[in-house]
Amino acid sequence: MEEKTVLEIKEPEIKSFSDFWKFFKEELKPKGKIFTPFNVITFPIMIVGYICILIRLIKGLGYPVTNLSQEFPWGLWIGFDVVTGVAFAGGGYVLAFIVYILRDERFYPILRPTILNAFLAYVFYAGAIVLDIGRWWNIYNPMVGNYFGYNSVMFLVAWHFFLYMLAAFIEISPAIAEWLGLRRIRKILGTLTLGAVIFGVALSTLHQSGLGALMMMAKNKIHPLWYTEFIPILYFISSIFAGLSLVIFEGSISHKVFEWQIPEEYHKAYPGIVFSLAKICALVMWGYLFIKLIVLVHDRSYPYLNSTMGFWYLIEVIGFVLIPAILYAEGYTRKSLLIIKCASILTLIGIIINRLNYTFIAYNWFVPLAKKYWPTPIELLITASIVLTEIWVFRWIVNRMPIVRPAPAWARKLESH
Amino acid sequence: MEGLFTYYDMFATKGVEYLIILVFLISFIFVWKYFERKAPY
Repeated sequence: MEEKTVLEIKEPEIKSFSDFWKFFKEELKPKGKIFTPFNVITFPIMIVGYICILIRLIKGLGYPVTNLSQEFPWGLWIGFDVVTGVAFAGGGYVLAFIVYILRDERFYPILRPTILNAFLAYVFYAGAIVLDIGRWWNIYNPMVGNYFGYNSVMFLVAWHFFLYMLAAFIEISPAIAEWLGLRRIRKILGTLTLGAVIFGVALSTLHQSGLGALMMMAKNKIHPLWYTEFIPILYFISSIFAGLSLVIFEGSISHKVFEWQIPEEYHKAYPGIVFSLAKICALVMWGYLFIKLIVLVHDRSYPYLNSTMGFWYLIEVIGFVLIPAILYAEGYTRKSLLIIKCASILTLIGIIINRLNYTFIAYNWFVPLAKKYWPTPIELLITASIVLTEIWVFRWIVNRMPIVRPAPAWARKLESH
Repeated sequence: MEGLFTYYDMFATKGVEYLIILVFLISFIFVWKYFERKAPY
């Protein structure tokens, strides 16, 4: 039955550019129903969001487009789109490391969707940095080294984002070659994967922590409970369980949405994969909690716990790290997908809170609530449209390329060599 | 005998941090046992 599903996807014969163009035009047509509840709700939001993006690019960052100011230069776009989005994309490098470096092939069925998700996250969320730059037309400057501090963390982060996008693209490119039926190119791309994975993992360790290093510039502005010289380590470690939690959460949705593409063997393997991911998450979160405790003692910032910000800190650490860690462990031992799913949602909320704390909640924490930064409706709309566009592109690709479904037989033969 | 015993401030020498790391490492025995246990149902 499953073989039939795989065989149903016709392989194109592309010998020239006109063949490709003909095939591509055919593929651009929607597959499936157009007027689904998801499409009907999300499409208008995206259109309004694009108009807002246009307004932002023409009018600039000032009010009413954003509520950003000299006091709060980093808002929702940096805090959620860029910093949180990149943490959520962490699943890509963690799974690639497990499968290609540690050679644990149990996770292979979810590798391609995860890497695709990571690649798109970098393109859309890290790409959203364009919106945050006042003079966005100068975005190419770090790439060409024009008027740029080479010792700046931002220089490192900009280059790493760019290079990781390339590495993730190489990792996912065999699927594109399989979609187009380009056998010789697929063979070449297959040989590049391991190198791209090693490169990608090295880059990720550096820029995940690099994003944390950016926050270290604001020593006097970030609340002492959050500020520490170990922010880069905390960012890196939290990106591991943030990324894996997104893999679990997103996997549970796409497992249902793209069910028709998933072969029986993958269906059977899926719960085992989720249980293993839950165990990894629980162990990493356990380590993360201890590092948080060590940092708290090392910086002697525990007296601040008995304050409003202290309670907020405890909600973040206990409610969204300790509790989900326990839930992950319980979900693993009880073999309950539901508990694990709940844990992943709590973890994702916790990561969002953590990253937003650094960018504007615990940032300038001494400013009265009425004078604090609140995102404008335009900021919210643009963020929503970026997230929804990523979901639409993900769906478009998965419905056409062998991402969730297995690779064609000829490509699998190449892998086994 | 004077001078043989030196008092160290736990905070000054970061002794508490070492203790936390020790507790963390020891906790892995219990975490391991927890993962290996059979679910109650």
